Parts: sequence; structure tokens; C-alpha cells
Amino acid sequence: MSTQTVSPPGASFFSATPARAFAPEDFAGDEKLMIDTAEQFSRKEILPVAERLDHQEDGLMPSLVKQAGDLGFCGVDTSDKYGGLGLGKNVAARILEFLSLNGSFSVTFGVTSGISQVGLALFGSEDQKLKYLPALTSGQQIGAYALSEPNSGSDALSAQTKAIRQGNKWILNGTKMWISNAKWAEQFLVMAKIDGEKFSAFLVERDFPGVSIAREEHKMGLKGSSTARLVLENAEVPVENLLYLEGLGHHVAFNALNIGRFKLSSMSIGPAREALGVAATYALDRKQFGQSISDFGLIQKKFALGAALFYAAESMIYRTGAMIDDAFEQYAGTIDGNRKAAEEYALECSACKIFSTEAESWIVDEMLQVYGGYGFTEEFPIARIYRDARVSRIYEGTNEINRLFLSDRLRRKAKDGSASLTAAGDSFISELAGKAIGQVGADQASIGAASDLVLLAYAEQSARLRSARFGGIHEALYTAFIGYANAKAAESYQLVTGESVTLPAISKPDYAEIAKAVYSKRGPAV
Amino acid sequence: MKILVPIKRVVDPYAKVRPLADGSGIDLTGQNFAINPFDEIAVEEAARIKERDPSTQVTAISIGGPEVEDQLRKALAMGADESILVESTAEWDSPSVADELAAYLKDNPTDVVIMGKQATDDDNNQVGQMLAAKLGWPQATFASKIELKPGEAVVTRETDTGEETLSLPLPAVITVDLRLNEPRYIALPGIIKARSKPLNKVAPKTSPRLRTCMTGVESPPSRQAGKRVGSVDELLAELKGRGVLNG
Ligand SMILES: Cc1cc2nc3c(=O)[nH]c(=O)nc-3n(C[C@H](O)[C@H](O)[C@H](O)COP(=O)(O)OP(=O)(O)OC[C@H]3O[C@@H](n4cnc5c(N)ncnc54)[C@H](O)[C@@H]3O)c2cc1C
Repeated sequence: MSTQTVSPPGASFFSATPARAFAPEDFAGDEKLMIDTAEQFSRKEILPVAERLDHQEDGLMPSLVKQAGDLGFCGVDTSDKYGGLGLGKNVAARILEFLSLNGSFSVTFGVTSGISQVGLALFGSEDQKLKYLPALTSGQQIGAYALSEPNSGSDALSAQTKAIRQGNKWILNGTKMWISNAKWAEQFLVMAKIDGEKFSAFLVERDFPGVSIAREEHKMGLKGSSTARLVLENAEVPVENLLYLEGLGHHVAFNALNIGRFKLSSMSIGPAREALGVAATYALDRKQFGQSISDFGLIQKKFALGAALFYAAESMIYRTGAMIDDAFEQYAGTIDGNRKAAEEYALECSACKIFSTEAESWIVDEMLQVYGGYGFTEEFPIARIYRDARVSRIYEGTNEINRLFLSDRLRRKAKDGSASLTAAGDSFISELAGKAIGQVGADQASIGAASDLVLLAYAEQSARLRSARFGGIHEALYTAFIGYANAKAAESYQLVTGESVTLPAISKPDYAEIAKAVYSKRGPAV
Repeated sequence: MKILVPIKRVVDPYAKVRPLADGSGIDLTGQNFAINPFDEIAVEEAARIKERDPSTQVTAISIGGPEVEDQLRKALAMGADESILVESTAEWDSPSVADELAAYLKDNPTDVVIMGKQATDDDNNQVGQMLAAKLGWPQATFASKIELKPGEAVVTRETDTGEETLSLPLPAVITVDLRLNEPRYIALPGIIKARSKPLNKVAPKTSPRLRTCMTGVESPPSRQAGKRVGSVDELLAELKGRGVLNG
């Protein structure tokens, strides 16, 4: 739900503290109902069949997507003109978080409800949208997004897939690698270069002549999802299926990714939420030395810090989502307006993606540790959660690429006057970021460390604004978070500047109190 | 056919609750709230009846503060046509609730009241019966199947000895049990549609006259740790030793 006032512009968190920011607690009553439906659907329909999904049982995943479509989940933030619900991206992301308790379903659903639609929704012509979106928003069809190639991953613009015009057709040749949903998808958003030069986006149906799917990749995790190559051999695509303009496919691809990164952040904390829950149940049951392991201080610390990282991630994701909703309300309507709206908070989207996926990694790893040796077996769900989480830091732009992007984005915004590099100085981290930002070298280690300072400043500010409003356990979570974040920031500061820095005193975090909240909620502390 | 479904907002039935330190009630900080699960089944049943006969009018009603709007909106999303919030922050015991509902029903002709057999917070199992008595209407409690016909309700109810089928002339009060149905997922379009359904706020027609008074709440004594025994003989010896078993 968007706020009344217009949100502050992109990257402004760096130089100013807003009076208030949207928090997950601010979702309206009936939005909470939607989120509840999502959680129930996950717990009753998806989690019980996780193992069958991992074995790629025939028809199971597509039938779950269809069921999700029947409940209205597949097009939450797509306009009702095209069969969606026309709601905001923020509530769509929160719903997605709860539909992401299982990783395989999450990526399948996330792609068909997200990056396979958003490029089309933002840049498509009316005819294209009316033709392709309703099948996706209703869950009748599954969609896919095809950018990566065997030799073109992070360097996406170096794609080799080629399109040439032949009469009223485009003829596409090339191989798209790692295509999520390939096995089930009926429609693919494909990036290819017209005449080997002009990077462009095309709407490709599975049944077009010359389109085929290679064998499934054998993956380390997300075994229930489909990942395979899309092979285009003289594939025939009608002329009208060029999406947007010749040579402007990067707008389609990268803006889909901006929103994609924001949504991936939600998709990453979903499994982290589940990991905290299952590990809490295990810890309460398991006894060693005559007592429940949940009472051991070092176990409590894992839950407390995990919940604190979760809290910060959640605070920044939904703060960002509310601002994105405002930007869409303000600018969207025309293609240029859509583009502006999707780009405005690109820096924040990258910050959320990096922070959330790394929080997820930390949480699933330490929650596995709570299980001891049992965590290393397939007997308990945590092993699957751990495996499934690993790829979050790799796709939708690796975290390295996102770090480079983040610093670059801030520098450009400062240059064109749309952002200031004078730090707000509202926290220890912000002060360090402000001092470091002028000293960033050309080397990637320094650039990456600067990005860490910026994204930690955003996480800290988001968690602080939220905890100040709600108090109680929120304050405890914030305290636990800054203990961790200040140390990381100091390390990053030293990497950029070479100067030493003394950590400020903070009150001792109450790990036991937070752990108790996690135990009683069987999930994040709030 | 007009159906009234009274609902109660209760603390999440799956949450662990603790008494307040002074024993004056339950500590509700940080707790989630829900429609009493039995009432949710009643709403679901009314929604299904409406799906079979679209001329049915379903009204959900609850007594409470503004926070109850969440539950009344949920009833709308599940299929009720309108919701009524009887605004009151006072305390209402079972006879008082029955008085208020009876007053509403006197002014608003209704064919059947379908409601939970009890609420999961106080577990009283009283309001339905009291309401029927006050109105002089027939009642069927613990329904596991409901069939509505013109002027008649046929209700299957669970008893200790088996199933019993009752036929009641309308208007009537029916209280429902867990086995009646399983509420379906609330589809998102239904939730959005509920935004434009009426949620009317009215003042209570009666004032609560408490006939019971809660004097304190405390936790049940914590369970003592058990003892593992190695054999049946050891078990018998243990039970005899504790005087639980004679001989
Ligand atoms: C399960 C799964 C599903 C996927 N789904 C899709 C999909 O649906 N559609 C799609 O288009 N793609 C998809 N991908 C592809 C994914 O987006 C790419 O794997 C990712 O972008 C990285 O590309 P790459 O694998 O070629 O790695 P590379 O680009 O070769 O990177 C290798 C390493 O080098 C680093 N690196 C690369 N360039 C730089 C640089 N300039 N500076 C510093 N470090 C650098 C990277 O961060 C990484 O650590 C999927 C991948 C997986 C594993």
C-alpha cells in the first residue's frame, strides 16, 4: 500500500533520514489476508510435497502453479486489464515471500509471475499485452525469461544469439542457457541481437518452428525447478513479436531485472523464514547434556542474529517496495514513465538483493548447524533449504555484479545531481560511508567495500526507522543487528581508506530474549 | 433466505498464551488474532449455501472495537454479503451477547443463525443455546451437516452414540462443529471484491449485564518430567509404588 506523500527520490537515504518509512507492519488488513492465504497455500500444498517436487514428479509443479493462478497469485501486480489484480509491487513481493518457503516452487512461480511478465507489462504494445499476459496472470501458462547464454552471463550485452529479418518474420539463432521454467514454459522473453548488433527483446512461443529445449541441467539445489537451455535453430518469430524497439532490448532486460532483484529479495527471505522455523522446532526438541539445546547461549545467538539479519532485510525490502509503488503511481502509464518508475530505485533494489541473499545464506547455514549431524542428512528439511538457497547470490546479477552496479549507480546519480554524496551521518555506518565515499579507488576490492558501506547504511537506517516505531522486541533485534553491521562496516571502511577505526560502544544484545521470540513464533521474531 | 453468522475475534488458536503477571487476564502483546475457527466454519457454510442458491443473503456480525473490522472483512472475503460491527469496547459475557443478538434479530428478520458451537478462547459453548431460548426458536447444536429447504433446516449432529438427524422449522439457530466443512483458501479476487461490500457500524441495542465475573487466570502447573521404564514389570512396580494401582 503506498503512502500518501510522494516518496523521497532514489538513493536519497544516503544523504538524508526520512521521518518515516514503510514497514511490513503497515500492510493493510485485507492485504494481510492475502498474505495469510499465501502462507497457508505454501504450508498445506507446497511444503508437504517438497520431496516429490525434487524428484520432478510429472505434472506436479505445473498443477501447483495452476492452483496458485486460480487463487489469483500469478498476476498480483499486473494490471487487471490483462487478468492481473492491479495491486502494488510491495504487497506482491510480500505474498511472494510467503509463497517462497520452498525454493523450487519459489523460482518457478517467481519467474512466471515476475520477470517473464514485467518486461512485457512495462514495454509491450497493447496487442502484445492482451495476447500474452492473460495466460500468465491466470496461471494457465508458464513463462520464462531468456537472457543468459553459455558464453554470456554477467556480461549479458555480449549475447551471441542473432535475429535477422526475413519478410514478415524474425529468424533467431543461438542458445540461451540456464533458462528457468524451460521444461514447462509456453512463452519465453528472449534477448537477441538484430543483425548481431542491436540488442533487442522478442516474445517467443514454445511452438514456433525452430524452438527446442535441451535436457535438464543437473543442479546442486532447486531440483524441483526446471533449468535447461533454450535452443533456437532458425526459429521463426512473427515481426510483431519484437518487444519495444530495435536496439533497446537492454531497457526491457535490465528493467525487468531491477524489479526482479527487488522481488528476488523477498524470494530469498522466504526460505530463511522457513529455516528459522524448522530449526526452532528441532532445537526445542533436541536434548544434550540433559537439557534442551535451545537453552544453550551459542544456539540462542544463532537464532538471535539470524532473526536480526532477517529483520533488517525485511525492513529494507518493504521500505523499497513502498517507494517503488509510489514511483509507479507517479510516473507509470507511458513506456517512458514505466521505465522511469522501474529505474528510480535501482540502487535500492541492488542493495536489497545483495543484503537479503547474503542474510539468507548466513541463516540457512547456521540453522543447519543447529541440527548438528542430522542437518547433514536428507532426513530433515534443512539440507534441502540449504542447497536451494545457494543460487540466490548467483542469479539476477551475481552479488559481485550488483556491488559494481551499486557504486556505479551512486556515482552517476551524484554526477547528474540526482543524489548527494554528503552522508546523512545518522549512524556510525553512515558516517563511515560518508568519509569513505570520496576515497574509493579504481580497484574492485575498494569499490565492493564502498558498496557494502552504502548498503549497510540503508539496512541500518531501515531497521532503525522501523524499530523506533514499534519498540520492544524490535529494539532488541535492532541492537543485535548493529552489533554485527558496525563491525562489517568498519572492515569495509578500512578496505577503502586504509585507516583504522574504533567501533562505538553499544548495549549488549539480548540474544536469549530474541531466541525465545523465535522459538515461540517458530519463525522470525516478529 | 437470510442467514446471520455471528463471529468472534479470538487470539490465534495455535499461539501459546501466557497469563499477565498479575493474573488479571491473558497477555495479548504481540499476539495474532483470527476469526474463532468454529465461526469460520459457519461463515464457510453460509458461503457454500449462497453458492448453491445465489438469492441467499449472508450477514456477518460481531461485537467489539475497531480491530474486529479485520475479521469482519475476512468474512466478506469468504463470501458474506455484508458485515455489521456492533461497536463496543465493553466486556460481554455469553448471556449479554445472546441478548444483543436477539435484539438485532427482532429488528432484522432472519431465517437462520449459523454460528460456532463455542469460541476457542473461553470455550463456553453457550451463546447459541441461550440465543435460541431467548427467541423461542428451535436449535440444533454441533452440526456436521446442514441442508436448508423452504421453511425447514435438516441438520445432522454428532452425539456420543452416533449421528442424529433433526428437522427444524425456520427460523432456527444452528451451532456448528469441526466436521461440518473445511474452509477453503480465500482467493485474492474475493478479497478485493470484499473492499466494496458494506461493513456497517452500529451502536449496541442492549448493554452488557455481566452475570459472571472472571477473578483470575493462571498457568496450569508445569508437567513433571516422566520416568523411562525398561519393562512391563518395572512399570507395574512403579505404579503400585505410587499407589496408582492396587494388588
Ligand atoms: C538455477 C539457475 C537459474 C537461472 N535462471 C535464469 C533464467 O531464467 N534466465 C536467465 O537469463 N538466466 C538464468 N540464470 C543465469 C544466471 O543469471 C547467470 O548464471 C548469472 O548471471 C552469472 O552468469 P555466469 O553463470 O555466466 O557467470 P559468469 O558471468 O561467468 O561469472 C563467474 C564469476 O565471475 C564473476 N564476475 C563476472 N564478471 C565480473 C566482473 N566484471 N567483475 C568481477 N567479477 C565478475 C561473477 O560474479 C562470478 O562470481 C540462471 C542460473 C542458475 C544457476
